[in-house]
Amino acid sequence: MDFLIHHMLRNSAACHPEKGAVVHGSRRLRYREVADGCASIARGLRSAGVQRGDRVGIYLDPSVEQVLSIFSVSQAGGVYVPINTVLVPDQVAHIARDCGMKALITTPEKLATMRSALGDVSSLQFFVLTGSPQMQAGWKTVYGFEEMLKLPVPRPWADWGISKDLAAILYTSGSTGKPKGVMLSHANVMAGSTIVSTYLEISERERILAVLPFSFDAGMNQLMTAFHQGATIVLIKFVFAKEIIDALLSERITALAGVPTVWSLLANGGILKHKFPDLRYITNTGGAMPQAVLKVLREALPTTKIFLMYGLTEAFRSTYLPPEELDRRPTSMGKAIPDNEILVLNERGERCKPGEVGELVHRGSTVSMGYWGNPEATDQVLKPNPLLPPALGDCEKVCYSGDLVKMDDDGFLYYVGRRDTMIKSSGYRISPTEVEEVLFQTGKIRQAAVIGIPDEILGQTIKAFIVAKDGAPLDCDGIQNFCVEKMPRHMVPKQFEVLTELPKTSSGKVDYPALRRREGL
Amino acid sequence: MPENTNPVLRIREFVFQKFPLAKRRKITDHDDLLKSGVIDSLGVLELVTLMQQEFSVTVGDEDLTPENFQTIERMAQFVARSLALQSGSGK
Repeated sequence: MDFLIHHMLRNSAACHPEKGAVVHGSRRLRYREVADGCASIARGLRSAGVQRGDRVGIYLDPSVEQVLSIFSVSQAGGVYVPINTVLVPDQVAHIARDCGMKALITTPEKLATMRSALGDVSSLQFFVLTGSPQMQAGWKTVYGFEEMLKLPVPRPWADWGISKDLAAILYTSGSTGKPKGVMLSHANVMAGSTIVSTYLEISERERILAVLPFSFDAGMNQLMTAFHQGATIVLIKFVFAKEIIDALLSERITALAGVPTVWSLLANGGILKHKFPDLRYITNTGGAMPQAVLKVLREALPTTKIFLMYGLTEAFRSTYLPPEELDRRPTSMGKAIPDNEILVLNERGERCKPGEVGELVHRGSTVSMGYWGNPEATDQVLKPNPLLPPALGDCEKVCYSGDLVKMDDDGFLYYVGRRDTMIKSSGYRISPTEVEEVLFQTGKIRQAAVIGIPDEILGQTIKAFIVAKDGAPLDCDGIQNFCVEKMPRHMVPKQFEVLTELPKTSSGKVDYPALRRREGL
Repeated sequence: MPENTNPVLRIREFVFQKFPLAKRRKITDHDDLLKSGVIDSLGVLELVTLMQQEFSVTVGDEDLTPENFQTIERMAQFVARSLALQSGSGK
């Protein structure tokens, strides 16, 4: 039976050893090669000191090495922590420190940029570097990825772990503070993969183009569903719509998952000029699909099924809209994925009636294990199911999404807004306090508050309200440039407004609803 | 547009201002900005806005290619070529 993530790879390699598994540019690996490669790296990781449950970070661009790393860490019995390569060194260091990372797999160039930031992460014991690394004596031990690939593998392989064990930690922002690590068990990941493969009808004939980062749960699921079904995954790092379009055509892609910014890029980037007869389905998640973009996509892809979906990292995957409902309900998020249930609850924990706005609460097999090392934050989000009969006790945790939704008479869900101050831009979750902390680092600001302003393409953009420290005039361009140095671009405020004082609530906290009302929201 | 505004100067200034990796890596006019990750897809759109607003260049989606946006020099050449075509001088 398959109960750990790498079992999916093992199984596909046993059934289709010569089938194409991964494509990246001109590199093509078959399932047998991927499975063998992962087994060698897994052996290398264990020899280097990875113990059961150790966290291993992966800070790599889309590449064969990135794919091998994920499954190797699983096979080694560790926990993989995929890190988005847009993150700056301080953010990577936060993740490494927060999860007590033991090892990091990256490139020599990327490591060089993080040297000082990672300097005081005491848990880090070694690096595995791709390419031909120079040994960096004196700092930490360095192993070569290529060398590990040559290791012979003991057969049979002794697995460490069961499906309840932690497989991955995906870092994501909340409404306050720094990003938190969402813990996913092997069971969570495999349930997600099985469920998505079911409603998208993914088979081994699929050729999936992976444009979303593997540090994002929807991105990771492209890889998991591909390997689960014995399909082929094609990796790409893109800047232009043309690059995606060329890949769709040259690799005869049958499946593409995107976020709204990807679809906007394609809709405005020439997708109408081509035909994609092989493209069986596309999916959207990470924010609402703009209706104007959807219209262009339906015109450009008349024979392609379009699935609008919603999910949150804390519950891995959550809802989907069957394509046949698109005409009738183009703005709906759909209904719960198979083997999972969505409850729309009011403030008293009771089910809402159709049309009544309530919080989306997710129940089922994809509910994560909570946040690494943060029981207080976990208890805010994973709570006992309020609808269970009392006799069952507290046996089940459900996930409170913080998203406000309503249901129509047929049970289809519609997004209304956030319960809290969290911002969503370009598919990324952004905590206002993270941005505000950087604004304070300029040393010129006494008070700061950021909110999300609706944006057709990005979902939301960030507006910062700032109060000067000593009444001197503030140079907003200079402050924005400071932000550009310190944060990935999706976190940089697009607009600034200087106030003499921020509106406060009766308890003295910043009154975010008042700021939103100022903007007509 | 003033006769003597050189696109290279303005584009260089804009890239260094908006994309922190450019400054950190001290990139030149000939360094690759795309493969290196200095500029991403949303960044390209900001450059397009710059070209449209400050140089009155029309950028079609067939112009959105690595050939035209890979380096500061290539972007400046694209702007100069487009302006020459638009003014009909053909030189």
